[in-house]
Amino acid sequence: MAELYVKPGNKERGWNDPPQFSYGLQTLAGGPKRTPLTKRVAAPQDGSPRVSTSQTSPGPPPMGPPPPSIKALGPPPTGNCPASSAEPTNFPVIEAETLLEDVLKPLEEALEDCRGHTKKQVCDDISRRLALLREQWVGGKLSVPVKKRMALLVQELSSHQWDTADDIHRSLMVDHVTEVSQWMVGVKRLIAEKRNLSSEEEANEEKSTATAEENQTIPGVQEA
Amino acid sequence: QNEERDGVRFSWNVWPSSRLEATRMVVPLACLLTPLKERPDLPPVQYEPVLCSRTTCKAILNPLCQVDYRAKLWACNFCFQRNQFPPAYTGISEVNQPAELMPQFSTIEYVIQRGAQSPLIFLYVVDTCLEEDDLQALKESLQMSLSLLPPDALVGLITFGRMVQVHELSCEGISKSYVFRGTKDLTAKQIQDMLGLTKPAMPMQQARPGQPHEQPFVSSRFLQPVHKIDMNLTDLLGELQRDPWPVTQGKRPLRSTGVALSIAVGLLEGTFPNTGARIMLFTGGPPTQGPGMVVGDELKVPIRSWHDIEKDNARFMKKATKHYEMLANRTATNGHCIDIYACALDQTGLLEMKCCANLTGGHMVMGDSFNTSLFKQTFQRIFSKDFNGDFRMAFGATLEVKTSRELKVAGAIGPCVSLNVKGPCVSENELGVGGTSQWKICGLDPTSTLGIYFEVVNQHNAPVPQGGRGAIQFVTQYQHSSTQRRIRVTTIARNWADAQSQLRHIEAAFDQEAAAVLMARLGVFRAESEEGPDVLRWLDRQLIRLCQKFGQYNKEDPTSFRLSDSFSLYPQFMFHLRRSPFLQVFNNSPDESSYYRHHFARQDLTQSLIMIQPILYSYSFHGPPEPVLLDSSSILAERILLMDTFFQIVIYLGETIAQWRKAGYQDMPEYENFKHLLQAPLDDAQEILQARFPMPRYINTEHGGSQARFLLSKVNPSQTHNNLYAWGQETGAPILTDDVSLQVFMDHLKKLAVSSA
Repeated sequence: MAELYVKPGNKERGWNDPPQFSYGLQTLAGGPKRTPLTKRVAAPQDGSPRVSTSQTSPGPPPMGPPPPSIKALGPPPTGNCPASSAEPTNFPVIEAETLLEDVLKPLEEALEDCRGHTKKQVCDDISRRLALLREQWVGGKLSVPVKKRMALLVQELSSHQWDTADDIHRSLMVDHVTEVSQWMVGVKRLIAEKRNLSSEEEANEEKSTATAEENQTIPGVQEA
Repeated sequence: QNEERDGVRFSWNVWPSSRLEATRMVVPLACLLTPLKERPDLPPVQYEPVLCSRTTCKAILNPLCQVDYRAKLWACNFCFQRNQFPPAYTGISEVNQPAELMPQFSTIEYVIQRGAQSPLIFLYVVDTCLEEDDLQALKESLQMSLSLLPPDALVGLITFGRMVQVHELSCEGISKSYVFRGTKDLTAKQIQDMLGLTKPAMPMQQARPGQPHEQPFVSSRFLQPVHKIDMNLTDLLGELQRDPWPVTQGKRPLRSTGVALSIAVGLLEGTFPNTGARIMLFTGGPPTQGPGMVVGDELKVPIRSWHDIEKDNARFMKKATKHYEMLANRTATNGHCIDIYACALDQTGLLEMKCCANLTGGHMVMGDSFNTSLFKQTFQRIFSKDFNGDFRMAFGATLEVKTSRELKVAGAIGPCVSLNVKGPCVSENELGVGGTSQWKICGLDPTSTLGIYFEVVNQHNAPVPQGGRGAIQFVTQYQHSSTQRRIRVTTIARNWADAQSQLRHIEAAFDQEAAAVLMARLGVFRAESEEGPDVLRWLDRQLIRLCQKFGQYNKEDPTSFRLSDSFSLYPQFMFHLRRSPFLQVFNNSPDESSYYRHHFARQDLTQSLIMIQPILYSYSFHGPPEPVLLDSSSILAERILLMDTFFQIVIYLGETIAQWRKAGYQDMPEYENFKHLLQAPLDDAQEILQARFPMPRYINTEHGGSQARFLLSKVNPSQTHNNLYAWGQETGAPILTDDVSLQVFMDHLKKLAVSSA
């Protein structure tokens, strides 16, 4: 679900800074592997270098007519050519706007669920960060990709897909750290707490069904 | 031969059976070993290895051992001791073999069940003498990393500038810290006392049999689990300010890196010795104060250059290097590793600090600023995961090498320290880090590669050993990132051959790629302690001797000289090695040379070769991309070149291509093939950029562009006017000077190889 994109590097701060890949691109395991570029050519044993015909030789300029100017340069050949593999696909950008409440309401509900089970201090901290998220959203400080991915995160959280939700939080931290760093750690914690709560509840359910069965099958035996 | 499976490449795959003959081979018998090579097809076995019972041997049961299934005995192939199988193996038979006896499991991994499993530890040591933008970018990267760390890992923070601050991490909201002066070094005990650490946390080595998990680990106030502390630490990082001490005009900030590292090492020593931990040093300039200072605070006095070092004009170098070497050795003894992330436009003292990364197996990352994609993504890749979702990083490895009696171990070159373990396998002659058959690699990953050098000790005219094969076993014990302890065992064998009668066999089994990298590592190792020209002379001498031994030629007739296919690339590798930044220092700063050498001494074979002789691929309309000679004759007007030097990816447009692009042909529909041609190298470059650690610089240039110099300086200059070459003056031994082209180099080489002098 994470976006796959490449941004240019920071040319001002680093000379020849390489492009920046999104989290989605970096975590792609395998993917279309082109032939690795690792072959070499041996130098000819008899020592003569391959002389290319199209290279102008150094030395005095040739006599005769002047070399053709750039205007006289012919166009590149048309026709077949080795195509590069993956064509970049274009996603249509027309999508519904992500609503604040669609994201914040489920998060706040999740927090309420955790209140009994998690330390008060932690809950307050998470609550504070959710408020910060709301503030930034309302204040127009969050970009569209962040909002979209948060909506996805919340969906996964509500469906108890902890690992996926966690992965989305990670992708947001990697790709948009400047926007999200202050409050995202609260969302991260919330996912972790909900996960714990949910596994505890499951464990309790199992225990209670087990004891119910026990009570039915084992008669109380009192012996002196 | 089975490199994919075993992660081993030997210089010779048929071994000369006598010591005398082996030395005449010129290239030593040696191998490149990647102990934790990624093996998605190799599930670890959940039991412990079976050892030979002879106390001086203790080799591990492997496919080369002879087995008597009826009597339930096995014969160690190294010492020939007959051993009883343990009770768990009573059910084995020819048709029911344990995995470790099957030939396809020449490499096998065991999981050790017993013993407490300790969490991974990450201690951030952060320089606050950075510009605002840089500090902000670094803070964000560190905050981001909290989302990448495993939740159970312990994390800590030390910040430094003029003073050093050790932050107490608590959930209570009030952050405390302990402040140290940056000018005075402290002993480990003093540090531990001042931080209030009385005795170490729960001793790691107490094994509790039968308990698979999870003693709640005593965390120190300074190192807390990520899942508990992440919110507070995020805020703490967010609030970090630049070092408050004002820096006047003409001065450098006072940076107490030496003391900061010292405190970090002492803190971990006192709380979590002998368990996997990374000290991650983030610095934006050179240490200018206290022990380990590399330059003073006056800007008008520049940091040492190679020229200064040659003229013995580097005031602080020896003392600083000693300080960091002391710290590096202590850290390695404690089983921890030190990473250095140095981002600045000027040097930061990597030359003096390099031992911290090199001896411990830590990373060294060099960039211009923390606010660059190069740093951010390289840093992210530290936390990359494998096919199983586990971190690639591993900790606390010990490598042991066992050999059959005709061989001994001469040494290792790579990110390791010696464990000083003497024994029957240890040679008296040292190549690399020798005098031992065991080394410690505190930080490693699936590409970490060591060069291991051997000595054949069989006497001349002694018969070829019975069975005809020699064997070597590599045993790597380590802490996996899941905190499990594991043991990876690789056992290989090769045939002996009598060099006098079977030279052709030995020749055909020469692995020129492995040999080139192994010789290069030896050369670079020498360059750390010898003068540059001496190393080149040594390298040239070895090459000439190799050609004399294995070339086919008529005496005194250079034009008759030929090398067989298994040697054909080797002289080229040596030519490019001589011109490389690993052996040519004067085009680089001391920090840059240290950086390049650091990576060279630990990469696997393929990447090492790329560093020695960069890859060059040519893209044209006439077919798929093809590898071309790293030569100026490959630079053509209608070609696009992609060059990979490992540290840089260069895309170069030939003159005509550049003109076409400028004219905009790629935007015209009838010239779509030109658009594809322009895109093809970009896509290939992207694939390399997406995976490599550290992230390379990316240069997109064209004919006449200023950045084209990166390509022009690497290619063999065969197309220039003739260069004059000079014979070596001082020693009388001929030097093949490095300003010559490959052709002249080869001519020289042939002349020297065929001459009887």
